[in-house]
Amino acid sequence: MNGIDTAETGAAVTVTRSRHALTAAGTAAAVVVLAALLGPLVAPASPTAQVGLPFDVPSAAHPLGTDAVGRDVLSRLLHGGRAVVLLAAGATLLASVVGVTLGVLSGLAGRRPGEFVVRVVDVVAVIPGLLVLLVLAAGFPGSDTAILVGVGLVSLPFSVRVMRSATRQVAVRGFVDAARARGDSRWRIVRHDILPNVTGTMLAEAGIRFSAAVHLTATAGFLGLGAGPPTANWGRMVNENTAGIALTVWPVLAPALLLVTFTVSVNLLADDLAARWADR
Amino acid sequence: MARTFNRRLLLRTGAAAVAATAGLPLLTACSNDDAPAGGTSDTAPSPRPGGTLRAAFVGGGAAETLNFLMGPTGLDYVRARCLHGALGVLDPAAEHGVRYGVLERIDVSDDLTTYTVKVRPGVTFTDGTTLTARDVLYSLNAPVTLGSLPFLKPPSQNFDLARATVTDDLTLTLPTQRPIADGRLVLCQSTLVFKDGTTRFTPDMPTCGPFRLAEFEPGQGASFTRHDDYYGLALGTGPYLDALELRTIPDATARTNALTGGQVDFVSDIGPVAARTIEGDGRFTLAVSELPYATSLSFGLNLSFAPLSDVRVRQAVKYAIDREAIVRNVFFGRAFVGNDLSSLGFGDYADEIEQRPYDPDRARALLAEAAVGKITVAVSTAPEVAGMAETATVVVENLKQVGIEATLDQRPTGQLFSDFPAYVKLPFAASYTPPVPPLSSYAATRTAGSPSTFGFNRPDIDDLVGQARGATDPSGRRDAAVRAQRLIWEEGNQVIPVFAPSINAHTPAVHGVRDEPFTSFEQAYLA
Amino acid sequence: MNHAALAALAVRRTAAAGLVLVALSVLIFAATEVLPGDAAGTLAGADATEAEREQLRRDLGLDTDPARRYIDWAAAAIRGDLGTGYVGRREVVEVLADRLPNSLVLTTLAMAVAIPVAAAIGLVAGLRAGRRADRAVSTATLVAVGVPEFLVAALLIAVFAAGLGLLPEVSLVPLGGRPWDSPEVLVLPVAALAVAATAAAGRLLRASVADIAATPYVEAARLRGVTGVRLALRHVLPNAAGPAVQVVAVMFAGLVGGAVVVETLFNYPGIGYELQQAVANRDVPMVQGITLAMSATTLTVLLLGDIAHLLLNPALRGRA
Repeated sequence: MNGIDTAETGAAVTVTRSRHALTAAGTAAAVVVLAALLGPLVAPASPTAQVGLPFDVPSAAHPLGTDAVGRDVLSRLLHGGRAVVLLAAGATLLASVVGVTLGVLSGLAGRRPGEFVVRVVDVVAVIPGLLVLLVLAAGFPGSDTAILVGVGLVSLPFSVRVMRSATRQVAVRGFVDAARARGDSRWRIVRHDILPNVTGTMLAEAGIRFSAAVHLTATAGFLGLGAGPPTANWGRMVNENTAGIALTVWPVLAPALLLVTFTVSVNLLADDLAARWADR
Repeated sequence: MARTFNRRLLLRTGAAAVAATAGLPLLTACSNDDAPAGGTSDTAPSPRPGGTLRAAFVGGGAAETLNFLMGPTGLDYVRARCLHGALGVLDPAAEHGVRYGVLERIDVSDDLTTYTVKVRPGVTFTDGTTLTARDVLYSLNAPVTLGSLPFLKPPSQNFDLARATVTDDLTLTLPTQRPIADGRLVLCQSTLVFKDGTTRFTPDMPTCGPFRLAEFEPGQGASFTRHDDYYGLALGTGPYLDALELRTIPDATARTNALTGGQVDFVSDIGPVAARTIEGDGRFTLAVSELPYATSLSFGLNLSFAPLSDVRVRQAVKYAIDREAIVRNVFFGRAFVGNDLSSLGFGDYADEIEQRPYDPDRARALLAEAAVGKITVAVSTAPEVAGMAETATVVVENLKQVGIEATLDQRPTGQLFSDFPAYVKLPFAASYTPPVPPLSSYAATRTAGSPSTFGFNRPDIDDLVGQARGATDPSGRRDAAVRAQRLIWEEGNQVIPVFAPSINAHTPAVHGVRDEPFTSFEQAYLA
Repeated sequence: MNHAALAALAVRRTAAAGLVLVALSVLIFAATEVLPGDAAGTLAGADATEAEREQLRRDLGLDTDPARRYIDWAAAAIRGDLGTGYVGRREVVEVLADRLPNSLVLTTLAMAVAIPVAAAIGLVAGLRAGRRADRAVSTATLVAVGVPEFLVAALLIAVFAAGLGLLPEVSLVPLGGRPWDSPEVLVLPVAALAVAATAAAGRLLRASVADIAATPYVEAARLRGVTGVRLALRHVLPNAAGPAVQVVAVMFAGLVGGAVVVETLFNYPGIGYELQQAVANRDVPMVQGITLAMSATTLTVLLLGDIAHLLLNPALRGRA
């Protein structure tokens, strides 16, 4: 569908931002990623153990208080990032690998086979990403893998399109024809002539996809898709602790702040990356 | 299912009591009114007719139907109780423990084998016809002929309905299966009446309850108007309300928010967390029930799941659970520690049996002794009532601490019991039971062969319960009842760690809503 | 390009959309019923006997060939029969007929709010591309796009419902009525949906406007002294209409997804809430029917956007 063309170009029209803003965004994103990845190693308590009264206000023992079942909010926070960050990263990686493969091959193929590939992957792109996740979650309840595959699937059409058009732009430059004339194999052409020239586009594209993936995985967590309770997950923490918001805001506010910080900073960085790449 | 229906039974029982009250000349009703509710016992203004009361309940989501015989949620019974007349309600304070509704009285033969039921004259349906003994008999049979949840089946289990005779329009004679002294409780606990020959529960069916149906949208709610020919009105009692709306709001937070946002006047089962929030808010009133009106939260240990067939493993599970912590951490102290026996606070409850302690070491020792190897089990639950899912969360942690590989299988509200045959196959399943007396409810749901037993099959205990119920002297009843409960305590497959009172909240204008233990609006008014 | 050619193109696009829908129906069916394997195993419980499983498989019709089952399902769907949900034995089609209008009202209102605001944002920022106003708007929309809908909704609830007590936090619809019978229940859900939609559409429109603003035609108008609102409305907006229609179509698709979250949060009786419940309940026929209907709705809107785009853009017509 043509709608996707518009959606794709939207992010590429650039706004230059101050170095400070980018540094802040980069730092924030790095902190969140570190917290998500290393959190489980430093968490003071088990994320599922009851350590006190429910919805207790912050104390020395529990700096962010306790949640709906009296579990340590800080520990759940430190454990709950993996589901968001790793799932989003895995999905983006999946979409990038498959997207680059399909995009480059379809870019080098003739016009008709190339368009055919795009049409096929576009089938998924016409329906809202969350719908894809819900369908998969209905088929595979409680599965984080289904979420990963679903988010990857949602990203795939965009990756394929962008990589295909980047490949075609490279391919029309003389040196691919020259390489062909030299009798280089197709694989050699891909490796030596195409890939080095589309890597930047691929990274910029992956950045945009990653920010969308974070958004989707957080929403999936909030809706209770993927691995079920008592697993900690920032999205679900928001959902399961709203009942106590009048008693203590931290069980909701802390994961919400982390999510917002992460999505916004990743968005800013991805946008900047895309803008820089477009400028070159 | 035992749990499920139990709860319902209890609830129904309560509802029945309410109905009865309505029919009866006032007084009981008034005194009762706020007593179980607690907290609102200050001087209530006198009943005032008129107005529309809007109430919110957990409900069963889109699966709701008007067929309360199969309706698994409290709301199903609350709704049915608005529409249909009840034989009576359980009321420990009333003579024989029962307040009658559409009945005038029940007489018992000296040998405890024949019950004579007298129908109240002049009970009319919404189509103008009059309730007869045939309708009552049909309604007693309906749980079997039309199918029902187990908690509705006690009348057919205790009485030989095939040999029942309709003596005249208002008299019904019921032979018992075996001699029982508590047949009135069985009959009045949860029986609602509808017309002879009813096979489908439709919005336009004739009904004889305090309200008539105006609108019913599954998963959304139902609205009612007063039934102006209701027999209770002639007796000078409710219903007072012009109209009533029962809304389904599964999410506890949203339900409470509907009250604080002024969208409803009464919210059922707000849970301990919201109770703490509302407590400090002068705009609303909390109504917390007292014993015996507390819902038991329990877990059925399925004997067809091999490790749990070993009594030592069952005992280990019981010792592994930190009940005090559940009361403290899940209910903020607003709950009672359970001793793996149902019906805490009722007269036949065996309170002489010592409280089972929290003893994880003993649990580990018992597991080692049983030597059944690694136990991997999913604890299935759903947020059906406040604290139920959280209790299961704690239980899972407790089990892990004694080396059982437990996982939490949390279903959405309304989904745990919706497929009953699947439910009773779960290895470790949460349930809740509304307050019902122990012996008749045991007979209804725990007797060998009942699906809700999770495979528990103890004819010896069944016999003891039968002995207790058939005893003509109190000490004989007590003795057999306690012996049965001790066996259940030692070898049973039901863990009951906690009893939770119902916590409702309402605006100060709401009066006369009863929790018996199912919420009844028959006497409710706005002032 | 003449009308006949345009009509032919519209027919081709429609046929393509139809094919996409067929492909989607296959994917939906496969993901929910074929790939997960033996649903009977899950439903029957861990300790069911093999005979019980067999019986359940037969009862559920799972003992037949998946392709056969798909064809039966699709054929029934074409006849307007999407089957019956497991939960409450409700006809899927009836649920759709009852709930879809409520959701369409929600999304339509959100669009009615989002489109003018997004257009204003797009024009203001796009015409000043690279300047301070643009930077502010772009950053703000980028932030807004990044915040998941459930957090936007939670924030709105905290402020306007729980905090100020101005609006209901629960979308209680009058029994037997529709959400628009008590319009106050629509306000917060619409607002929550509109925030993300406005930000996303605003960014896309800004890009289109910035492109158009850089064209010689607009440059010429500027040199003639046309500025401000007049420049925006007379010279830029008409040229942005083509892309804008598509932005709106894409925005609608986004709103359909957002509606699932927002309806769930507000207990709003729409199709998104039903879908979330159906997924939680593992109610496969309901999930299949609702996602198929939502896909068809989205496809239709995208298709209409596509055709409108063709009609509004002479250059594209030529290309086609």
